[in-house]
Amino acid sequence: MTLKGGASQACAACKYQRRKCKPDCPLAPFFPADQPEIFRNVHKLFGVSNILKILKGLHPNQKPIAMRSIIDQANMRDWYPVHGCYGLIQNLQYQIQQAKEELHAIYGQLEMYRQQNQISPVPEDVPSQLELGMAPPNGSLPLFHHTQQQYSAVAALPIPPNHCSNNGGVAGYDNSGDVVPKDNVENALWMQNQYANYSSGSTIQIAAPQPLDVQQEIVQDYDELQPFFDTIDDAQSYMDSKEACDSSSESSLKDTRQSIEHAGKNELKSAAACFSLTSVN
Amino acid sequence: MKMASSSYSNPPCAACKFLRRKCLPDCVFAPYFPPEEPQKFANVHKIFGASNVSKLLNEVHPNQREDAVNSLAYEAEARMKDPVYGCVGAISVLQRQVIRLQKELDATNADLMRHACNEMANNSTLPGANPGHNENNPGFYYPSNYNPWSGGPSGDHDQGGGSSV
Repeated sequence: MTLKGGASQACAACKYQRRKCKPDCPLAPFFPADQPEIFRNVHKLFGVSNILKILKGLHPNQKPIAMRSIIDQANMRDWYPVHGCYGLIQNLQYQIQQAKEELHAIYGQLEMYRQQNQISPVPEDVPSQLELGMAPPNGSLPLFHHTQQQYSAVAALPIPPNHCSNNGGVAGYDNSGDVVPKDNVENALWMQNQYANYSSGSTIQIAAPQPLDVQQEIVQDYDELQPFFDTIDDAQSYMDSKEACDSSSESSLKDTRQSIEHAGKNELKSAAACFSLTSVN
Repeated sequence: MKMASSSYSNPPCAACKFLRRKCLPDCVFAPYFPPEEPQKFANVHKIFGASNVSKLLNEVHPNQREDAVNSLAYEAEARMKDPVYGCVGAISVLQRQVIRLQKELDATNADLMRHACNEMANNSTLPGANPGHNENNPGFYYPSNYNPWSGGPSGDHDQGGGSSV
């Protein structure tokens, strides 16, 4: 359906709804006519009215970002009808938990080595480690201490209880038993990191079968959004999925997660690659 | 005196209560939106709409519907709290964390291997060192080489026949 006078083609949204695409169509910038499948996924999950409601209360600079996230979410739901983005989040959280446990074990071994080097004196008839070109017995490893500090910082980040087994004895490990505590300070840090990352000129690209090159042009300069993001209320915690993960479905979620790990791990890792951050320009 | 039949029937689910309609025995929402959790359906309805949720539930296997509802409820709540990023923002944060942890793992494993090499060298240079001394050396902790970023999306095996409308 084209406009009179040979004007630009109707956007995918108006084409799908079989209506006239006005010049001020709010969805036209986000749904080009040559990519109808994008709008199809979004329409299937959200619906036009809900999308417009979401966009209505946003600043004009935020609308492209919101639409990008809506499109990403809809595409994920199309690829994974059961779990959608939530499944990917669970998978990533599980990977983080595994990595932290592995780090904890490695740091334990490193500490053991360090203690052994401090306790066991070097025999006199044995060439010193310095002569052998190795580290001194009581040598402090800047890298180790540095990474130890990093580990403490990382361990302080909230982890949902579905994936952790009671904090594993790591100092500073925050496990309140909730998915993510609403008023957790670490969550505020997480929120700041999130917005800082988005405002550093990076954007989430979807490596879909049909590349969304057009979408990149729509995204505005994220540096302008930094002052706005700094004022985000720390109470805006949306990782608390207590209502979503009630006790009755926890076992099914675990089973599902196991099935995800076993059968869909490669697929979810591939989907995570779709959300790899790249910098604009 | 007539007795209200509704007093003997199950209370309406949160969805039917919200939509102000009779909750039929075959209500698709009833198993997943109990009346004790009204906010759950309210969020889902506000973001996705009841009809979209109903269609989605009908497209998945019945034993997967609870997971589907829970994921929708999570995403709806995330979008309510953050209309701009929704739950997608969490994905980018978690991705960065995974990458950071992977780098830390690689560095720490390198440290561990260096220590293990030193230990083995010390043990080999000690006069009369018995093989049992190596029992304190647990060996290498194999480095994690999992790469979460590989290839493109291959879709969910539960997806039945695409989403053409």
